[in-house]
Amino acid sequence: MNVFSRGIRNAFRNQIRTIAVVGILSLSIGLSLAMLVAHKAVDQKINSVKASAGNTITIAPAGFSNFSQVNNALTTTLLSKVSQLAHVTSLTETLSDRLKTIGSVSASSFGANSTSSSNQTSLTSPVIINADSKRGLRAFTFGGLSGIPSNFSPPITITGTNDPYSLNSNNLSLSGGNFINGNLDNNQAMVSTSMASKNNLRVGSTFTAYNTTLTVTGIFLNNGNQSLGNNIIVSLPTEQSLSGQSGAVTSAIATVDSEDNLASVTTSVKNILGSNADVENAQNIANQTIQPLNSVSSVSMYSLIGAVVAGAVIILMIMIMITRERRREIGVLKAIGASNFKVVTQFVSEAVTFAVLAAVVGIIIGVAAASPITNTLIKNSSASSTSTNFSGGFRTATHFGGTNGPALLSGGRGLGKVRNEISNVKTEVGWSIIGYGFSAAIIIAVAGSSIAAWFIAKVRPAEVMRME
Amino acid sequence: MLAVNKISKTFKSGDGGIFNAVDNVSFKVKQGVFASIVGPSGSGKTTLLSLLGALDRPSSGSITVDGQDISKFNDHELTNYRARNVGLVFQSYNLIPNLTALENVMLPMEFVGLGKLTREQRARELLNQVGLSGDKQQRKPGKLSGGEQQRVAIARALANKPKIILADEPTGNLDSVNGKNIFNLLHELSKNQKTTVIVITHDISLAGKTDQRFSLTDGKLQKDKDLPRSFR
Ligand SMILES: Nc1ncnc2c1ncn2[C@@H]1O[C@H](COP(=O)(O)OP(=O)(O)OP(=O)(O)O)[C@@H](O)[C@H]1O
Ligand SMILES: [Mg+2]
Repeated sequence: MNVFSRGIRNAFRNQIRTIAVVGILSLSIGLSLAMLVAHKAVDQKINSVKASAGNTITIAPAGFSNFSQVNNALTTTLLSKVSQLAHVTSLTETLSDRLKTIGSVSASSFGANSTSSSNQTSLTSPVIINADSKRGLRAFTFGGLSGIPSNFSPPITITGTNDPYSLNSNNLSLSGGNFINGNLDNNQAMVSTSMASKNNLRVGSTFTAYNTTLTVTGIFLNNGNQSLGNNIIVSLPTEQSLSGQSGAVTSAIATVDSEDNLASVTTSVKNILGSNADVENAQNIANQTIQPLNSVSSVSMYSLIGAVVAGAVIILMIMIMITRERRREIGVLKAIGASNFKVVTQFVSEAVTFAVLAAVVGIIIGVAAASPITNTLIKNSSASSTSTNFSGGFRTATHFGGTNGPALLSGGRGLGKVRNEISNVKTEVGWSIIGYGFSAAIIIAVAGSSIAAWFIAKVRPAEVMRME
Repeated sequence: MLAVNKISKTFKSGDGGIFNAVDNVSFKVKQGVFASIVGPSGSGKTTLLSLLGALDRPSSGSITVDGQDISKFNDHELTNYRARNVGLVFQSYNLIPNLTALENVMLPMEFVGLGKLTREQRARELLNQVGLSGDKQQRKPGKLSGGEQQRVAIARALANKPKIILADEPTGNLDSVNGKNIFNLLHELSKNQKTTVIVITHDISLAGKTDQRFSLTDGKLQKDKDLPRSFR
């Protein structure tokens, strides 16, 4: 028997009280752990979103919405000034269009850049329309059609780019052939593996688009990604001349050498392009995107602190109760030679016993509750923010079904992914949680014993002579 | 030798004034003497005893034990002094309810840092000595009679071989037979172990059996004419 074992033994002196205290305390510890897990998961996501956003500036024609031809003020000539700015390391320019499969009913009436009869291709889209995307299409009710006609074929996206090594957020790798040269108008094209197998294409095969024969020089892997698979990639000059839009560009992404220069370069780009373009840098978009996560992060932090404080208050109350109840015993211990320190240590051990028992139960509760709590927090906060932050074009693009949205809408490299990811926060429950659980318990116990300790120190040994 | 020199203990009374619960008391008790304190209720007996037991400091005066002035001790020194030199016996026993008799006796030895085996062995010896043997040593106080509990309390008071045992009405809760037994036990201890024992009692016949007797009235010590010459 020593002070510690007496403290532990005293924790079980009143079993009903022990069960009640441990029960309530374990809920508080469990909740704090769940909040801690949520907080860490969300913070990790925020950091990865920020990191993956990169140092890019997205440039789109002002007022550009989907494939409307309202304003094509963005041109290669204008953008060449941007590429000459200091700190701009590269400038990717793209011109996108939609092609209808020859002899099919297509969605071109609401989506295509040009509606002329030349806006057709011999290829058939590899996209498989499932029930969901049919609903999505029907929601647009093109040409009074309700339902999907039997000879319907989704439109194919053709993208002219000066950087054929990547498309939207995807870095491309080839399964055969070579990358096209993004600067030559030579009617060469790259198609996806899905597109190639749907249309029996191999390197060297030809197909037609805009009534012109194009040659397949490379086949890129789309790894089952339907929207990526629905692409034909040609050089920027090729697409400009095929579509008859000489010098036009529908989106551009400038890459800046470092994050520090991003803001100043963004301003310079805005100055050059003026009202012709919408200019947005990746960090801004990322910051908007993680807005809901930031609120989850702070909510979980407050809840964490709240739960720990609640736990400490529970221990505080119970220890005050216990020391008042055993005032006489404290007097006796002191009268027969126990120091204040020893008596306090004995009562703190008792509090720690409560807290450690509660931690064991609390860890189980916390581990079980972490994931559902995190998901609920994120669901609630991002549901309210989608309507405010991701309005207009973005929604349309996501609802479009399997077909690929224009490059612009992904908002720069990485951001397309990022937007999907914020609803995909993964909670990790590791061994560290057990460590945190027990540390929280010890902190709660020691903090909660403070008033009791003061009370113990105040008991005068002489009192015991009168407490008959 | 316990020497008390002009000690007073002052308390604030309810109406803002002060009064002396112990008033200018002086006496000497030799080692191994069995002494008693008598006096009416409220006369300051318990207050005096708590000063002797280093549970409290006198407002003035000095208490020297074998030449050491304990009235000048700080809190830490008082605690240490109590642990090693004082054994306390209370009217209502004051055992720790969730410890067994044996553990209660072992407790003060823990405060002076004795090892577990030594504590347990000595606790058994002491309990046997006060007449509590066998399975009763493993019982908690709630399952012992008042007389048995007081025996455990006396064993606990003896644990660290104190110079002085102070007992505040140790027989107050016991019937006359049990009370007499406890009283005799204390008497034997003072004789066999050269321990000074000071007992507060209301029982004049018991007080009459002690070597030295102090009578308090309103905090003041009375000259007791009944005392044998040698103890005056
Ligand atoms: N902490 C205190 N504060 C104020 N007055 C006190 C305090 N302790 C004791 N007294 C007063 O001191 C006086 C002496 O009390 P004490 O307990 O020493 O008497 P006693 O002789 O032991 O009486 P009894 O025989 O009834 O136990 C009493 O009037 C009591 O009210
Ligand atoms: Mg008294």
